[in-house]
Amino acid sequence: MERISCSSSRSGSCSENKPGIIEDTFEFGDGILMTGNLLQEATVPGSSFTALLGLPATQAMELLQEPQSTKAQPIPAPELWRDSRNEQETLGYSLNCSPTFPTNAALVERAAKFSIYAGAQESTDANSLPSNSSENSLKLKNEPADSESNPSSCLVFSDPATPSENQKSTKRKEREKKVKVSAKRSKNVEHGSSKTGEDKDGEKLPYVHVRARRGQATDSHSLAERARREKINARMKLLQELVPGCSKISGTALVLDEIINHVQCLQRQVEFLSMRLAAVNPRIDFSLDSLFAAEIGCLTSSSFPSAVTIEPLMWQQQQNQQQPMWEVDMLQRPAAWERGGSNSFLAHDNSLFSYNSANSVSLSSNQLKMEL
Amino acid sequence: MTPSSFKQELLKKWVLGLQSCGSMAKEMSFLERKNAIKLSADIAMASARGGKTRWSRAVISSASKRDDSKLLVRNILGNEFERLMKASVGTPSCNKRFMSKKILRMSRGLRRLRRSTARRRVQASSIAKRMVQRRTQVLKSLVPGGESMDGFSLIEETLDYILSLRAQVDVMRCLADASERLKSK
Repeated sequence: MERISCSSSRSGSCSENKPGIIEDTFEFGDGILMTGNLLQEATVPGSSFTALLGLPATQAMELLQEPQSTKAQPIPAPELWRDSRNEQETLGYSLNCSPTFPTNAALVERAAKFSIYAGAQESTDANSLPSNSSENSLKLKNEPADSESNPSSCLVFSDPATPSENQKSTKRKEREKKVKVSAKRSKNVEHGSSKTGEDKDGEKLPYVHVRARRGQATDSHSLAERARREKINARMKLLQELVPGCSKISGTALVLDEIINHVQCLQRQVEFLSMRLAAVNPRIDFSLDSLFAAEIGCLTSSSFPSAVTIEPLMWQQQQNQQQPMWEVDMLQRPAAWERGGSNSFLAHDNSLFSYNSANSVSLSSNQLKMEL
Repeated sequence: MTPSSFKQELLKKWVLGLQSCGSMAKEMSFLERKNAIKLSADIAMASARGGKTRWSRAVISSASKRDDSKLLVRNILGNEFERLMKASVGTPSCNKRFMSKKILRMSRGLRRLRRSTARRRVQASSIAKRMVQRRTQVLKSLVPGGESMDGFSLIEETLDYILSLRAQVDVMRCLADASERLKSK
């Protein structure tokens, strides 16, 4: 476990997990070591949206075992919820958690939020299995289900990447060359585990350790090429899972088509929404006053995936000079990011807010509380 | 960064921007309003993301270069402005390097093309490569700041960009629905 937790991602753009986020997402009493280490390693918080995807199966299973923490569920990588059953058997874990994940989309988003740099974690996880043979049988069983669903071995670094890379591609070749490949794989995996074992403090190893696989060229150029290609393919898989309807498509060009389509669609949506907003108010900040003075109705519509509730707290007491405080609690997609408390933050916006309707404010805040 | 915190940041900054827009110009036409709203939303999204992703830095730097959005950027960013400007200073030099490499590459490719026009065999792999290349170009044009990215970082940036766009759409839709509902009351 320590190896796993320590070998969490380190990269320039890694570990976006601010402490607050960790608390949000992992809320269990049992200090999962990983979270502790992530906290320490969160040097550049929020650096990339693709947060740690690399929770290996063990940790994911442990997370799953926490029954009440709804947040635990979405954390595991997509392949985990897809292959959770496989992995349960194959990885030989005797955890009997039922993966009750809310929605694919939510999970995928969640998974995408967590970075993958801990490809090493997966490999170390696999390595920590008791015996080689069980490992091999694992990989054998894992392969079919895992063939397209291993984004977590997505790699920013080459060195943590390589063991999992080797795992992936060797899994693919498995059917033809079981014994030898598995032998080689176990060697790779152990090699990789030793690599990541050393990597406890997040130091980058200076060069890539890539093993040549059976029947492939061994010069450094092609190895580097292959490592690069594996990286890109892993990222593409993540993207595929993010964009709806893309996972069934095979072929880079078509997938890119879908991605482009999706991005254009989203940008168009932004345009239309801004048009709607412009049409609604004669002045830009017109609606804001009345919105904040009254209730924001998003929360009432349950069909809304995300809702904004604004509870004006101390508006009666202050006018323009002081800083208004309010709580904004945003309810996200249902099961995925359910939070108990609301987030409160201070908005410093002195001169532009003017709220005259103190009475309506108090009334509406009561209404809000009731609805909540 | 969790999506909810991102959305909150976005909303906060967007509201800031909208109000600074509103205070700057009293009477605006529909188009002006729409553009201001969209601009505020984009800048808010980029600044809520922080300077950690290339696309966000590209959005902010391009917005601060334009005259009409300079002030808005300043208002929204506040004290982060200086920090972000420093963070994005590196990009022009990288751009130059990248562009010169690109020119070299293109000239090499042209020379090779002229030599190999004799070969008429069309290989599937080359077709596929060309298809992917073309689409990568399109993607680069879509993602802000994408021109100077190589394949791998492009994919990463696209990932991040898509997630941020989704969050932005959610927040905007929420606000739009709420204000429409309010208006209809």
